[in-house]
Amino acid sequence: MIELKDVSKVFQNGVEALLNINLHIGREEFVFLVGPSGAGKTTLMKLLYREESPSIGEVIVDRIKVNEIKEEQIPFLRRNIGVVFQDYKLLLRRTVYENVAFALQVTGAPRSQIRRLTMQALELVGMVKRAKSFPNELSGGEKQKTCIARAIVNNPPILLADEPTGNLDPQTSWDIMELLDKINRRKTTVLVSTHNKNIVDGMKKRVVAIEGGRITRDQQLGMYSQQ
Amino acid sequence: MSKATDVEFFIIEAIRGIGRSPLMSFVAIGIVTVTLTIFGFFLLGVVNLGNVVSGMAAKLDLTCYVDRDLAPRDAAELQLKLSKMEGVEKVTYYSKDDSWKSFKQDYSGKLELSEVVSDNPLPNTFAVKVRNPEVLPQVAKNISQMSEIDEVRYSGKLLGQVKHFVDVIRLAGFVFVLLLFFATLLIVVNTIRLTVLARETDIYIMKLVGATGSFIRWPFVIEGILIGVAGGILAVVLLRGSYDALAFKIASAFPFLPVVSDAFLLNFIFISVALCGTVLGMIGGYISVSRLIKNA
Ligand SMILES: Nc1ncnc2c1ncn2[C@@H]1O[C@H](COP(=O)(O)OP(=O)(O)OP(=O)(O)O)[C@@H](O)[C@H]1O
Ligand SMILES: [Mg+2]
Repeated sequence: MIELKDVSKVFQNGVEALLNINLHIGREEFVFLVGPSGAGKTTLMKLLYREESPSIGEVIVDRIKVNEIKEEQIPFLRRNIGVVFQDYKLLLRRTVYENVAFALQVTGAPRSQIRRLTMQALELVGMVKRAKSFPNELSGGEKQKTCIARAIVNNPPILLADEPTGNLDPQTSWDIMELLDKINRRKTTVLVSTHNKNIVDGMKKRVVAIEGGRITRDQQLGMYSQQ
Repeated sequence: MSKATDVEFFIIEAIRGIGRSPLMSFVAIGIVTVTLTIFGFFLLGVVNLGNVVSGMAAKLDLTCYVDRDLAPRDAAELQLKLSKMEGVEKVTYYSKDDSWKSFKQDYSGKLELSEVVSDNPLPNTFAVKVRNPEVLPQVAKNISQMSEIDEVRYSGKLLGQVKHFVDVIRLAGFVFVLLLFFATLLIVVNTIRLTVLARETDIYIMKLVGATGSFIRWPFVIEGILIGVAGGILAVVLLRGSYDALAFKIASAFPFLPVVSDAFLLNFIFISVALCGTVLGMIGGYISVSRLIKNA
């Protein structure tokens, strides 16, 4: 589902964010991406939805050569990838419902479909009751659930979550992780970057560790740090 | 794809955009109004000037002289020949005797002509009226080539000068309008850009969830059109009111000036002004969001 071949990313200022990355993530896998701050986790995710392009190497997502597609095709790539951020990136002047529906509206989906899919997504994350609330009326966990609903509303085969629990307390973090796990069980490939040791250790999933732009460990049923 | 939903979305987003910075939108509408009003006055000025010039030219006649004596029959024949020439509308004949009589009448008392000249020194004269001022030089040339005619005179120099003057005004006006257009465009672009920057997150998220460039652009283009249309309509209202008042004043103060009051021409100008506002707003909206749409 996701494949990186000999990928390096050197930024214009000379920072080598990723070095010679080779990574394969299969269909419907759940993978944790761990590593210290500045390791290159965010950069790796940005390569997948073409917010950044690799300096060299090949990035393949759902059989699409991401680094080769034309700019006009980027929107269609992104419709297959849901993205969740640590800082939510919700639109403050829109309600929970509108924030989620927005993701469908901008792809030109028909009205009836927008309503149905938006309600389904809110149902899945447990936010139907807060549908009419604005983001500033929500707790961190509720904001993140809204953000997840927006990411999955058009049912993409891939979900990327960049430190989704970075701003949340332990209990809420677990809720969010369980939600991501539930989405994974609905046959969505999920890639989560995190610093949360307890969660990684508790979830017993595949763990890919990167440090200084290199993959240092790739382990099934892995732990946050080397045993 | 359900286009109706999309259009509804674009329009709602455009109105949200205006609502997000109403003051700036008012300023933009005001500036568009002022520029278009100036533009409209300029257009009205040019058509009126053109009107004055063609009015002047219409009064210009050719005067053809025949020195030798003409029998009335020959004169009539020549008059007919001249009036059959291309571009000629009307020919009037003044025999040298008639001219001499009226001349003597005009100057009787002021000057004792018979003391200076005993004979009639005036030539026979044909006054030729042309169909339109543009053909005047050509008709003059054709007539002067006729052997029967000794001399042709017309105030061609004056006509040329007036035409030149109008051409200069037109050119200067064109440059002026162009500058005005770009200045207004710049202001519209910057105004909408303010609302674009306020919606940077919106645009980022739109791109993230897979909105195409044109989809992101439409609300801003519509916002520009709304600003342009509002400015255009206000400008037309201003122009109409002040032109009617001004035209009335000029017509009563200088009755000899032909003020344009042709409804078709005026409406054409007003519609051009309004359309210009619309196009201005549209281009402004389009440009304002371009930088943010570009992908990494
Ligand atoms: N646009 C950029 N231009 C230049 N350097 C960048 C850019 N984005 C990231 N970097 C650098 O690339 C390196 C990797 O950054 P990245 O954001 O991928 O790390 P990360 O693993 O996500 O860290 P964190 O855990 O703190 O989020 C860092 O040294 C960072 O400073
Ligand atoms: Mg990061």
